[in-house]
Amino acid sequence: MAKQKPVKPARPDLAPPPEKRGLGALLASLLVETRSVMPAAGATGLSLVLVIAAMCFLASLTLGAALSVGHAARSWTSELAGALTVEIKPSRDMDSETQLDAVMTVLSKTPGIITARPLDREDIRALLEPWLGQGKVSDDLPLPTLVAISVDMANPPDIAGLSLEIAAAAPGALLDTHRQWQAQLLRSARTAEGFGYGVLAIVAATTIAIVTFATRAGLSANHEVVEVLHLIGARDRFIAAEVQRHFLHLGLRGGLIGLALSVLAFMGAGYSGETDSLFLVPVWGLRVEIYPWLLSVPIAASLVAVLTARITVFRTLEQML
Amino acid sequence: MIRFENVGMRYGMGPEVLRDVSFHLAPGSFHFLTGPSGAGKTSLLKLMFLAQRPSRGLITMFGRDIATLPRDELPTMRRRIGVVFQEFRLLDHLTTYENVALPLKIQGRNEDSYRADVHELLHWVGLGERMKARPPTLSGGEKQRAAIARAVVAQPDLLLADEPTGNVDPEMGQRLLRLFVELNRLGTSILIATHDHALVSSAGLPELVLQNGGLIVRG
Repeated sequence: MAKQKPVKPARPDLAPPPEKRGLGALLASLLVETRSVMPAAGATGLSLVLVIAAMCFLASLTLGAALSVGHAARSWTSELAGALTVEIKPSRDMDSETQLDAVMTVLSKTPGIITARPLDREDIRALLEPWLGQGKVSDDLPLPTLVAISVDMANPPDIAGLSLEIAAAAPGALLDTHRQWQAQLLRSARTAEGFGYGVLAIVAATTIAIVTFATRAGLSANHEVVEVLHLIGARDRFIAAEVQRHFLHLGLRGGLIGLALSVLAFMGAGYSGETDSLFLVPVWGLRVEIYPWLLSVPIAASLVAVLTARITVFRTLEQML
Repeated sequence: MIRFENVGMRYGMGPEVLRDVSFHLAPGSFHFLTGPSGAGKTSLLKLMFLAQRPSRGLITMFGRDIATLPRDELPTMRRRIGVVFQEFRLLDHLTTYENVALPLKIQGRNEDSYRADVHELLHWVGLGERMKARPPTLSGGEKQRAAIARAVVAQPDLLLADEPTGNVDPEMGQRLLRLFVELNRLGTSILIATHDHALVSSAGLPELVLQNGGLIVRG
């Protein structure tokens, strides 16, 4: 079939002038325009961005808090686990200096011990003051001698063997492993950490559900576009790619807005000058190394939006001939 | 080129809207499709632009039985068919230029390769000054012309138009008819569904008449 088009001289010079936009329209277009054939600054596009921004804000806050709690719990337990104390009670069989020398000799020969420092009388007095009151510790009060030990956690000593050696070396000397404290603190820290991750799981699941529903709503508002593209001969792959690109952009924008707000919130808390902690979360802000983890929130939200859009659009297209 | 043999169609479990429809459109032919409202004109067009499957009968398009055509070959076939929808179905968020260029864009063509052609066609249908306008700001007649331009821009083998002169004055109706005749002269087969008896009689072309779900060929 011979084909020609109705001919008139081509007039590429008649390219329409760029559309003029106000500041509001420019902002709206920056938020929702995606250079796809899908509608840009539609009400559904904007509301999807806002919903994703709000959910990502909450998810980033929760993730930051959960990571902080986890980090705090781990650092406390490792600090505690890396410390031992030898308590040397006065004995009739050996004077205190000989006791201390015997203990220090054992400690210096034991591998896996980084430092062993006898606390002087002032240190011990300071430790007792909270219980006995300032100035109540008289010089003739018999005080135990304490040795603070820090342990190489990568290569820890044999605690049971060390305990026996110390007891044998000096009567009245006792190795305190803080095990009772450690177990209790570890339990509380793990509970707090578990609670943090539990809240994070709930917020993440809610975010996924809301982003999924919002994406579906956005896509059903664009059903006409999908159908027209289909009827004029667009392949499913083309339509899906356009739809995915559209929702990837909307998802990333919403996610980054939410992330920025949460970072501002954490930093704002830092500048508020508070130095207290709120349920293990230091409210003066997040540790620097946690911030990169927050990036996973907008990425995950965009992926959820893209996957939902892809699955929904293929399902819609399958129902069409 | 298009052959319908004993085609019947129903929506869901409803009554048959088309019954034992048989006809043949030869390459380069020009037909009108007429009949009272509700006779099934739009349903027949939907079968022809592959938006619906028949409930029974055989439809052959461009030598292929559409019942056995794999789904991934349908887009290629749809690209050979230009459609002017009754309600235009322009995309409101795209400009007139983007709407008209859409069939070329979905083929993956580079915009530089078709920009001048689309501008030309828009001038030809009288929308040269409205390229940047979006459909909500176009009049009924302008939308119709944009829809027609979109249907013909990819130079289809078959043009299906549902009431393409329904929203324009008789003068513009005649002008659009001349566009269709010109396209037909260049090799495109044309089927126009219309209520406009004046248009049909002035053209003096064969007519497919739908009545009570059945079809007769006149002229």
